[in-house]
Amino acid sequence: MSQFDKRVDKELKKRTELETIGLKDEIWSSLEKELFSDEQANKGEMKTMKKKNRVIPIIITTAAALAIAFSLQTDTGMAFIKGIKDMFVPEKEINQSIEGQDEATKVNLNEGTNSEYIIYVDETRYKMINGKETDVITTIDPLPEKYPEVTMEIKQVANEKPEDLVGKIEAELKKDFPELRTVETVTEPVEGYWLHGTTGSKWDSKVVTAYIISNGKEGSFVITENYFLEAAEGHGARFHHMLESFEIIE
Amino acid sequence: MKNEEMIRNIQDGDKESFRIFYEAYADYAIRTASAITRNREMAKDAVQETFIRVYRQIGSYNPKLPFDPWFYRILTNECLRFLKKESSLSKFEHPDLENDPSLAEESFDHLSDLYNTIQSLDDMHRIPLILKYVKGFTENEIADILGLNVNTVKSRLFKGRKRLKEQLVPMIKEDDFQ
Repeated sequence: MSQFDKRVDKELKKRTELETIGLKDEIWSSLEKELFSDEQANKGEMKTMKKKNRVIPIIITTAAALAIAFSLQTDTGMAFIKGIKDMFVPEKEINQSIEGQDEATKVNLNEGTNSEYIIYVDETRYKMINGKETDVITTIDPLPEKYPEVTMEIKQVANEKPEDLVGKIEAELKKDFPELRTVETVTEPVEGYWLHGTTGSKWDSKVVTAYIISNGKEGSFVITENYFLEAAEGHGARFHHMLESFEIIE
Repeated sequence: MKNEEMIRNIQDGDKESFRIFYEAYADYAIRTASAITRNREMAKDAVQETFIRVYRQIGSYNPKLPFDPWFYRILTNECLRFLKKESSLSKFEHPDLENDPSLAEESFDHLSDLYNTIQSLDDMHRIPLILKYVKGFTENEIADILGLNVNTVKSRLFKGRKRLKEQLVPMIKEDDFQ
């Protein structure tokens, strides 16, 4: 270890030690309450469940809007959906970190097939193509042939829960990505299972990142991002930020 | 108690094993979270959430793989989640030191706080450095924790250290590091 490394090492350890005095016992005390007290554990479970299903709590919050919508429209189903969509601004500006730089980006509200979800898409770079079963977000202009695919696919599997589906998706992805990482659970950008793999370490090695999340009922949404290694901090980061705006409409 | 045994016991809901695990991992988890979040309260919340997630989701850990990168990936994600949640407050409490004019002055006094200089780097260079120096993770382990390619990690560590050295030149000269 060089003198420089030694100094950084020493300084970081010294400062973090000073700043964390007393936290250990404090955290343990909270953990005990949260995990080992029956009453609190139940509360914690409820809290987790609430967060897990990232579904818009539409019933209460849009009651007034719906009353108006239902009274004005004959197609009550469409009115219901419109009422929910109205909750979201059609365009907004977000700040995202791309390759280490903060960037203000305008994003536009898009909805999935049959209005099952909404997502804000950076329409200066991408377009959303609604398909029968799968929606695809991809670059506005196709990339030259030398570049691997850059897409984010969103698909609903209505009759299979994430825990039942994850093994199948993993096996499927392993065909093209033999060194797929072990499945993990994540809370960002969406809450669910996370699968990630690459085909190598060259600039154009393919990268896949998939999320399997609950659709709030008995099914799942499978979101699959495809890009390449050099684009990980460009397209990969932009997909990640777009996905943060993903909300299921129940 | 070996790690495998401890993990098995935690999976069975054994509080004592979880306590032993906490004793073994809490110190460095708190230090790492404190360095990443730059905020004591946020570090506390992130570490707490990490241990809760580990306790509840330890079944998703693959025992064939090393445990520490798995644990620190959860921790790092939790820190980033809290940072994002509190981003406006975080910016308010931690001004952009990188653009602080005082850092441009070749003053030993201004540049002597190495910790603040590390913290003035952007996250993509700062977090790999924290993982490297606080816990001593290798480049491969950092890549695993951050979900990055190892070459990306090497490049970020290189650039991060380079930026640190650039900012610390007067201090390095003073101490005759080179």
